[in-house]
Amino acid sequence: MTLNIRTESTSPERITLFVEGRLDASNFGQFDSETQQKLAPLPEGGTVVLDLQDLEYISSAGLRSFAKIRKQMRTRNGHTLLLNPQPQVRKVFDIVKAVPVNEIFVTVQELDDYLDQIQRKMMQEDR
Amino acid sequence: MGWRSISIAPRLALWALLGSALVLAISGTILFTHTRDTILAHTHREAGALTRSAASRIEARLDRVMVSTQQLAALIDRPAPETDKILHQALKANHDLSGLAVAFRPEDGQTAHAPFVSRDSEGMLHERDLRDDPTQYWEQNWFLGGLTCRAGCWQRPFFSKSRHRWLINFSVAIVRKGRPVGLVNADVSLDWLQDILGALHKPDGAQAFVMGGNGKYLAHDEHDLTGHAGSPALLKALAARTGTPTLLSTNHAPDLGETSWLYGAPIHGSYWSLGMLIPEQRIYAPLRRLFVIDLSVGLLALLCIAVMLLVVTRRTLAPLGVLTARAEHIARGETEFELPAVRGHDEIGRLTQAFDTMRKELAAHIEQLTEAVRAQQRLSSELEIAQQIQTSLLPSEHYIEAHTSRFELHACLRPARAVGGDLYSYFMLDHRHFCVMVGDVSDKGIPAALFMARTITLAKALAAHTLSPQQILKRLNQELCVGNDSCMFVTLLCGVLDLRNGKLTLASAGHDPIILCGEGGAHLIETETGPAIGLDEDATYPSRTVQLHAGDTLMMYTDGITEANDAQMRMYGIERALKMLDHAPRPEHASEYTRRLLSDLDHFVGHADQADDITILALSWCHTADEQASDMLELDLPSQLEDVFAALERCDQTMTASGIPSSVRADVRLVLEELMVNMVEHGHVAKADGCIRLRLECEEDVHVSLRDDGHPFNPLEAKPPPTTTDGAADPEQVGGFGIHLVRAMASELTYSHDAQGNHLQLRFVNNPRMESES
Repeated sequence: MTLNIRTESTSPERITLFVEGRLDASNFGQFDSETQQKLAPLPEGGTVVLDLQDLEYISSAGLRSFAKIRKQMRTRNGHTLLLNPQPQVRKVFDIVKAVPVNEIFVTVQELDDYLDQIQRKMMQEDR
Repeated sequence: MGWRSISIAPRLALWALLGSALVLAISGTILFTHTRDTILAHTHREAGALTRSAASRIEARLDRVMVSTQQLAALIDRPAPETDKILHQALKANHDLSGLAVAFRPEDGQTAHAPFVSRDSEGMLHERDLRDDPTQYWEQNWFLGGLTCRAGCWQRPFFSKSRHRWLINFSVAIVRKGRPVGLVNADVSLDWLQDILGALHKPDGAQAFVMGGNGKYLAHDEHDLTGHAGSPALLKALAARTGTPTLLSTNHAPDLGETSWLYGAPIHGSYWSLGMLIPEQRIYAPLRRLFVIDLSVGLLALLCIAVMLLVVTRRTLAPLGVLTARAEHIARGETEFELPAVRGHDEIGRLTQAFDTMRKELAAHIEQLTEAVRAQQRLSSELEIAQQIQTSLLPSEHYIEAHTSRFELHACLRPARAVGGDLYSYFMLDHRHFCVMVGDVSDKGIPAALFMARTITLAKALAAHTLSPQQILKRLNQELCVGNDSCMFVTLLCGVLDLRNGKLTLASAGHDPIILCGEGGAHLIETETGPAIGLDEDATYPSRTVQLHAGDTLMMYTDGITEANDAQMRMYGIERALKMLDHAPRPEHASEYTRRLLSDLDHFVGHADQADDITILALSWCHTADEQASDMLELDLPSQLEDVFAALERCDQTMTASGIPSSVRADVRLVLEELMVNMVEHGHVAKADGCIRLRLECEEDVHVSLRDDGHPFNPLEAKPPPTTTDGAADPEQVGGFGIHLVRAMASELTYSHDAQGNHLQLRFVNNPRMESES
C-alpha cells in the first residue's frame, strides 16, 4: 500500500493532514514536497494536525519527515499535533521519542480540548 | 430351639436332676432287692416256725385222742355193761372227743351191745346203741376197716348229717386171743382243727390248712374247701416234706388264686400235714408301700434341689447374660456402656474385670485404628492428587501436527503404582525441530515421581536453548546432579527430529535403544549411550544421527516393556517385541503401534502383576516436500532502493504465508528497511555494483541473515540518537534513529565482519508471551 495524503481545513489557522498507508524511505520525498505545499498557506501561530488513523507503517525516514514539519511549524510559532497513531506506529514513536508525548492524542475530542486550552492561554497573554 | 440354645441354668438343673435320679434309682434297686430278700427270709423263718408250732399242737391233741382210744381198746376186751360209763367218763375227760363208740363183731349171730356216746353242740352227752341203726354196723366200711387197725388208724373224714359237722374217726381194734373182735371208735370233730388254724397268728392274706393223707383238706381257713381235694402240685410239694418253703405259681396250682409261698409241716402220728400259703404279693406289700413313699420323698427332694440349683445358677450366671449383650455392643463398635457390678473374685467377677479391661483397651485400639485409617485416607487422597499432578506434567497421549500432518505421535504411560518414575515428553524446539524424550527414573513410587517431575520440567526448560539432544542431556545432567544426595538417577533417551528432512539426532543416557519400524521391518537403532542422568556431573553424551524415510515410525519405550514377566517369571524381552512388530503389517497410525505392542505384552504377561512402570511412545514421520519455499526466502539483490523495497515486499509475502502475525511482520520490515536503506545510502556510496544477500527463515521465530559487501558497519556500536531540547529527536540525526529502531525491534542481533563483508544475524521472537514480558 502506498502513501496517500488528504487535507482538511476547519479554520484558516488550522490544517489536518490525513496520512494513509506507508511512510518509508521510498516515499518520504513525495510526502515532504506535498506537505510543504499544504503548510505554506498557514498563518503565523497556526496548527498542523497529523491524523495517523490510517498510517500503518512508518520508518525512520518518515519520522524525519514528521520532525521536519514540526521544526518548520516551530519556526512559525505554530504547533504540530499527532492524532490517533496505530500501535505499530506508536511503538516507533515510543522507541525513538521523535515527538513529545504531550503532542500525541488518541481522540479528536482530546485534541480539541488541548487546542482550546492553548487558545485561552494566548488570549490571556494578549490581554 | 435346640438343646444347646437353652440357657445354662436349666440345663445344669436338669442334668443334676437326672444324675441324682439315676443314683437314686440304682441305690434304690439294690436296697429294694436286699430288703426283699431279707423280708422273704424273715417271712420264711416266721411262717416255718408258725407252721411247725401249729403242727405240734395238732399232734398233741391227736396224741391225746389216740392214747385215750388205745387205752379204751386195751381196757375193754369184751362187751360189758359198764362200757357205757367208761365211755361217758372218757368223753368228759377229753374234750377233743366228740363221740366214742365200742362195737363188737357179731358172735354166733348175736350182736353185743354197741354203745355210742356223742356230744352235741351244747356239750350234752347222748347215748344210743348202734344196733338200733337201720344199717348193720358190722357190714359198714368204717367197722371193717377199723378191725384191721390194731394200733389204731384214722378213718376218712365224713360229714355227719345228724351233727352238722365234719368228723373223723380214730379206730383201734379190740384184740382178744390174737384176733380182733371189735373196735373202739373215737369221733373227732374237725372243728377244733379249724379253731387251731383260725387262732394262728398268720400274716395278712395267709391261709392255713390241714391236709389229710388222702389228699383232701381236713380243715381250711376257707371252710368250704374242707373235704375237697388239693391240687396235685400242692400235694406234691407237701409230700416232699422237706420243710423248706416252696413257691407255687398259679400255673401249677390254679386253685391258689395267686402265686404263693407254701410252708408245710408233717403232723406226726398221722398222714396229715399242716400247710400255710402266703401270697407272694402280700409278703412284699409293706416293702412296696415303703418304697413308694421313699421314692416319692426322694423325687420331691431332688426336685427341690433342682429348683434351688436353677435359681442359684441363674442368679450366679446372670452377669454372663449382661456380658453377652455387652459383647454384642462391642461387636457393633460401641464401648460406652454399664457393666454388672463385680460381686466377688470368682470366675464371673474376674471375667467382668477382664471384660472391662478389654473394653478400655479396645476403645483405645479403635481410636488408634481410626486415626491410622484417617491418616491412610489422607495419604491416599494426597497420592491421588499427586497422580493428577504427575499426569498433568505429561503432554497429551496423542499429537498430530495440525498444519501439515508431517508427523503423528502416540504415547502411553501405565504406572505400576499410583505414581511412577516413567516419563515421556515432547515439544517443538522451533517450528521445524521436534524434541521427544522417554525416560525411566530409578526406583518407583513417590520419590521416583518427584524426581520425574523435576526431570520433565527441567528438560523442557533447558531444551529451549539448544537444538541438540546431547546438549539437552548434558545440561539436564548438570542440573540434576546438583544436590542429588540420594543418588536418584534417570535413564533418558532424547531425540530431536528435523521435520523438514527427517533427520533424527539421538542421544541416550543409559536408556534402551530405539526401535525403528520402516520398510525393512523393525530393528533396533543401537546408540552409544552416556551414563544415566544424575550420577556424574561431568558426563557427556554422544549423539547419533539417523535419516528417517517417509512413513517410518520410531518406538521409544522403558524397561517396563522388556522386563515384564509372565507368571513363570519369563521376560518379555526386546526380541519378542521386534518379532511381533516385524511380522505385523504396517499400520496407518502411530496409536496402532502402541496398541499392538501393549496388547501383545498383556497377552504374554497374563495375570501376573505389573512390576514396573510401562511407557511406550510411537512417532510416525511423513515427509512433505513443498514446504521449503513457503517458510524461507533467499535473495541476492543489487544495492538499489527499488530493489530493497521489492525485497521487503517479498519478505512480507513469505512471512504472511508462514503465518507470522502482522505486528512481527511490521517489526521485521522496519528493521530490514532501516538496515538495507542504510546499506544503500551509506555502505555502498561510490559503489555501483553493491550487493545485498538476504536470507529469511520463518520458523517459530523469524530468523534473518543479512550480508552486504559495503563498508564495515556495526550497528551495535552506533551511538544512541541525541534529542533536542524539548525531548524530540533532532531530524538532522536521522541515521541514529534508524539504528536505534533496529536495536529496539530485533530480539537478537549479532554482527560479524569477514571477507565477504558485513554479516548481520537477527532473530525476531514470534511469541506473544515473551513479547509482553519484554
